[in-house]
Amino acid sequence: MTATNEWAANHECEVLVIGSGAGGATTAAILAEAGHDVLIIEEGPWVDQGEVVPFSLEQMDRQYRSGGVTVALGVPSIAYTEGRCAGGGTEVNSGLYRRPPEQAIARWQSEYAIDDFDADGLLSICEEVEAELTVQTVPGEHTRASEILRDGAAALGWQHDESPRWMSYPEGGRAVDGKRQSMTRTYLPRAFAAGARMLTEHRLDRIVMSGGSATSAELSTTATGIDQPTTITFKSVFVCGGAIQTPAILQRAGFRHRVGRTLAVHPTVKLAARFDETVNTPDDVPVFQVKEFAPGISFGGSASHPGLVALSLIDNWRDFGATVTAWPELAIYYAAITSQGRGWVQAIPGVRDPIVTYRLTKRDRALLGQGLARLALLMLEAGAGEVYPSFKQAPLVRNRADLAKMTAAFAATQASVMTVHLCSTAPMGENYKRTATDSFGKVHGATNVWVNDAALLPDAPGVNPQASVMAIAIRNARRFADERAG
Amino acid sequence: MRAPSTLSTPMARFADALLAVDLPALPVDPRRQTVSFIDERVQTMPSVPRFGVKAIGIGVDILSKLAGVDRVISLVTKLPIPLLAEYPRLIRSLAFAYIWETWPATQTDGAQ
Ligand SMILES: Cc1cc2nc3c(=O)[nH]c(=O)nc-3n(C[C@H](O)[C@H](O)[C@H](O)COP(=O)(O)OP(=O)(O)OC[C@H]3O[C@@H](n4cnc5c(N)ncnc54)[C@H](O)[C@@H]3O)c2cc1C
Repeated sequence: MTATNEWAANHECEVLVIGSGAGGATTAAILAEAGHDVLIIEEGPWVDQGEVVPFSLEQMDRQYRSGGVTVALGVPSIAYTEGRCAGGGTEVNSGLYRRPPEQAIARWQSEYAIDDFDADGLLSICEEVEAELTVQTVPGEHTRASEILRDGAAALGWQHDESPRWMSYPEGGRAVDGKRQSMTRTYLPRAFAAGARMLTEHRLDRIVMSGGSATSAELSTTATGIDQPTTITFKSVFVCGGAIQTPAILQRAGFRHRVGRTLAVHPTVKLAARFDETVNTPDDVPVFQVKEFAPGISFGGSASHPGLVALSLIDNWRDFGATVTAWPELAIYYAAITSQGRGWVQAIPGVRDPIVTYRLTKRDRALLGQGLARLALLMLEAGAGEVYPSFKQAPLVRNRADLAKMTAAFAATQASVMTVHLCSTAPMGENYKRTATDSFGKVHGATNVWVNDAALLPDAPGVNPQASVMAIAIRNARRFADERAG
Repeated sequence: MRAPSTLSTPMARFADALLAVDLPALPVDPRRQTVSFIDERVQTMPSVPRFGVKAIGIGVDILSKLAGVDRVISLVTKLPIPLLAEYPRLIRSLAFAYIWETWPATQTDGAQ
């Protein structure tokens, strides 16, 4: 059995899983393997890995929500992106793997009172995930853009390391030979092998409730040319739509308590750096990360195809634009922070998409400025001749004197701030005042509705979050299966 | 290949004028193709920001008819009014990303 987008008016299942990303695919696989009758629904299409060029506009068209043009309103507004396809964000992301930090696990456990939640348990699930996704470092040659981060950090004596990725490589393969081991290649086939079914291009519009119980789901198809509703009846439902859609789905079903009130992200600011050699690899990202100032600030590299290079220069096009023709010599890097700010996700009756807001704190804005300044310094140390910071009225940075000017000129409100790490819109735990679900994702006040995705993370983990999302989702799905197995 | 836009929406007219100023040497065909791309992307934006973009687009379109598009472009681009300033920025972002991904050899003034 594979996924289908064929329309039918009615379906029945025991467990309905909404969304097929890091949370949904793992949930479906664990539950199907435990013998449950699982149906996965996914709003986006099935796109095989390799069918579109990574980080391209075509990929954004086909595999991102709203073509990648999504924004959390605020001052400054923060651009964010979500995957919208079979496999969700795992299909389009950079594949950089980080285990949840033990400190974050301990903090979540104590502040949110999460039962049976400890580092040993989660990290042993991480080991399984690492085997399943063939998480590994690059066996062969790195990209030049990646080496630049390593070399700059080494020159400054700053802590840095290579982030492993969920990639498979031919023996001795180069960074660019990697094949992403996303959900369409791993947990979704596992779920199908155990009997799970999947409907792609089907969007959940509403969960129908009767008291605290969900009874059915109303769907519409997102495939062109069909305009027929579908109804699915089920015994239990797992909402795994990601940190933006999940709270909106819950709110539409009438759940309000701590839902959508604590969006947490890792905001990033970026720059483009120019070297006197070819450094640009359009369809891959650097794997080295600089952790000297972590968890507050960390540095990494972004996708840098020519369109994205142009984008990184637009805030000062008149002064910086001339360099766009040299894009092969340019690469884009980011400084990410752990933010103390929080955002809101709010579903509006009669409106398809929720409204998203985010408020950076004063400390967050300062940290973004510090991050960008240190990142620019690292680029100079790595040999960049010119550094182009992405904020309005930024000076061109060629030396340390320019760096001081840049630091003085920086204002977060003038910067292109963005994020791809979204979490914490339905936090889990027994601390009722702070959480939307219990310790295993069951929504407070519901008898048969669970959340099992990035929304559950009590806050942003300070590292790339997919491993945290998967480990928690597997833990919770196992608990569900164990309880029903008696 | 996208069909050249007919500049039928306020947003398309503004985008076309903005590109003519930013990238004066960009030939008409790629410019119209870019405008079509922007138009399509705006249609797929989430409901609330899309509504905001369209509302600003209508306002700017009316102003352009009264005061001249060039003056309005320079005003909207320079005024530090948060949501208004996001409008040309959004259009530029979409346009530049599209142009340099589709025609990576494009010059800074748009010449191809
Ligand atoms: C560009 C990008 C780069 C990233 N890079 C990294 C990285 O290098 N390392 C890392 O650890 N993390 C990275 N992330 C983050 C990581 O991908 C997410 O943390 C992870 O995918 C979250 O899993 P999830 O299950 O919560 O949501 P998702 O993976 O987003 O899955 C949610 C799914 O639910 C579907 N859905 C939503 N609403 C509905 C509905 N109403 N009906 C039906 N289906 C619905 C969506 O279409 C989507 O497919 C990146 C993310 C992006 C976007």
